[in-house]
Amino acid sequence: MQTDYIHIILADDDEDDILFFTDAFDELKINTKVNTFKDGVELMNYLNKEESLMPNVLFLDLNMPKKSGIECLTEIKACHKMAEIAIAIYSTSASEEDIEKTFVLGANIYIKKPSDFKKLKKVLSEVVSINWQYHTNSLNKDNFLLRL
Amino acid sequence: MKKKYFFKSTLFLRVILLLSLFVILVIGGFTYRHISNLTNSTEIVVKTYKVNVELEQVISYLREAESGYKNYIVTKDTFYLKPYLNTKEKVDNSFLKLDELINVNPEQQENLRVLNKLKDSLFSNFSKTYPHVKNDITNTETFKTLLFEEKIIMDSIRRQVTNMFNLENKLLNERQKEYQSDLQFTPLFFYLVLLITLILIILAYNKISNDLKNIKAKNDQLLIFKESSNQSEIIGKHGNWVWHIESNVFTYSDNLYRLLGEEPQSFEATLDNFLKFVHPEDVDKLTQELNKMIDVEELPFINYRIIQKNGSIKHLKAYAKSFYSVDGQKRLLGNTSDVTNEVESILTLEERNLELERNNKELSAFNYAASHDLQEPLRKIQTFISRLEEKEADKFSDSGHQYLERIKSAAARMRLLIDDLLQFSRTNKPDKEFVNADLNELFENAKQDVAITILEKKAQITNDTLPTALVIAFQIQQLFLNLLSNSLKYSKEDKTPIIKINYSKVSTKDEPQLLKASKSNYHKITFIDNGIGFDQKYAEKIFDLFNRLHNKQDYSGTGIGLSICKKIIENHKGFIFAKGEISVGSVFTVYLPFS
Repeated sequence: MQTDYIHIILADDDEDDILFFTDAFDELKINTKVNTFKDGVELMNYLNKEESLMPNVLFLDLNMPKKSGIECLTEIKACHKMAEIAIAIYSTSASEEDIEKTFVLGANIYIKKPSDFKKLKKVLSEVVSINWQYHTNSLNKDNFLLRL
Repeated sequence: MKKKYFFKSTLFLRVILLLSLFVILVIGGFTYRHISNLTNSTEIVVKTYKVNVELEQVISYLREAESGYKNYIVTKDTFYLKPYLNTKEKVDNSFLKLDELINVNPEQQENLRVLNKLKDSLFSNFSKTYPHVKNDITNTETFKTLLFEEKIIMDSIRRQVTNMFNLENKLLNERQKEYQSDLQFTPLFFYLVLLITLILIILAYNKISNDLKNIKAKNDQLLIFKESSNQSEIIGKHGNWVWHIESNVFTYSDNLYRLLGEEPQSFEATLDNFLKFVHPEDVDKLTQELNKMIDVEELPFINYRIIQKNGSIKHLKAYAKSFYSVDGQKRLLGNTSDVTNEVESILTLEERNLELERNNKELSAFNYAASHDLQEPLRKIQTFISRLEEKEADKFSDSGHQYLERIKSAAARMRLLIDDLLQFSRTNKPDKEFVNADLNELFENAKQDVAITILEKKAQITNDTLPTALVIAFQIQQLFLNLLSNSLKYSKEDKTPIIKINYSKVSTKDEPQLLKASKSNYHKITFIDNGIGFDQKYAEKIFDLFNRLHNKQDYSGTGIGLSICKKIIENHKGFIFAKGEISVGSVFTVYLPFS
């Protein structure tokens, strides 16, 4: 599906984070369309709908009510239709355990939510401009966690 | 040792007994022979006397015959021939007796034969002269010759008898002497026998009394041993019991009664009486195990409970082994020990351990959750601050700007604290994986992490070649990083920081600091800097959590870094020491066990 904008989805239960996220993309001069969902169930309902537009990049918070990020990740990777979506884990913590688990489950990159808005913008612009084809081929545990 | 001694002693007694029996037998034999000798001697003497008497008789008969015959010659009266005729028979009788009496002596026998011949010739002479007398032709030459011959024969007979008499007397004398010596020897012999018997008895007595003395001494020792075992039973809270299996008789030591909470020997020692004290749940187990102990030689300890009369429950541990007594009786010897205190303390310890584990887990979970969950609001605060700064900065007054700066630095400090706390709680986690790591590599990684600061401060860092060691790699890297950044942080402003890292392999006995070390060899790594140093009296305190020697304005820091170092070293069963001198520098010495 070729579009002239980058379709981005964020699944996060934190309103502040959603605000930062959308604000950042508003300020970035990139042609993007951002959809947000408040929990895992909402996200999966959308993705599972036949007519839904699949995102280019999915930002997935791990700690969500009803359905956690890990559960969503597992379901998405098990579904052939969604297998192409680039998944960026977007979490407050960067514990070894979480990084290890999501890497094994097939996430493409791990982002620790920055505590500075400028940095956030930088991170997001970096992520949306990644050539996923190339990135996924050379993906390993060391470059999985995004460091800026 | 003792057994051998007793064996020897009985052997000695046996030898003495056998020897005594032998000596007494020999003495008996000697005495018998001696007495029969004496009897023989007496018999021989009597015989000699008899021979003499017979000889006297023979000579007197012959004289009587001769004188009778002479009377006949003179008177020609045949009356005088009577004794002559009687004598012949008597003399023959005497000769027969003599022959019997002297048949053991060949010399006398020869003499007797000669005498017999003489007697025969005498009688033949008589018969030759008799017709001359009868016919009264006595005045002839022939008759005179015959008479003369008769006289000669008679003289010969007398001589012969005297000879025999003398010989017999000589023999008698000899025998009497012999008899005398035998008689003389008899009391001496009996005295000797008595003496030997006495000596044997004394020897035996001496031996027996010695043995008795030994046995008494042994008994005394046994008594002491028994008393000491009684005391040790009281101190060690154990008692012993013996089960004579064949007769089904029990003996309990005094302290076994005390273990049951009873006065010593206050009830009959039987299995049933004992089982009355055993906890109802343990009775079956105990009886089963006891029965097994009779058959099987070695068994593990039995643990069971008893209830004393006052209601208190005690934990007992028993061990028993069957053995055969000297007389072949099977016995079960057991020891029972009161382990209530041990059991209780183990239970308490287990409880405490569980509690501690729970506390530790809670603490660690709390620590992790606190630092982790604190991050989120802090991150938002910081992000909002950055939004304010970016979008609303121009609307603030000067003091507004100042306040914003203060909020920013406070938030940054909070971030530092949380990060360090998180680091510390991670060091506490038990999932430690020891690998053989090249410490040089870990050190280079750590150096890389502070590369910017090294450049900024133009620090000079030199290090010895480090070894390869069995460590938790990321923790050791953290340790190096913390020590390096510590040295960089507390460097003097006006001086180039110089940090030296020395390494040597040391032996525990050469390092006075390693008093509590369990290994014999350690890797010793020393971080020496020329920074601001510290007062030696804080050398131990600086490793405490949240402990800081400087205020926040002068030196940023959370007081967690060195605590993490200490924690890491503890995880590795190593040691870390600090030495400082104000405005000269500090030395951190790390000891890692050599594996």
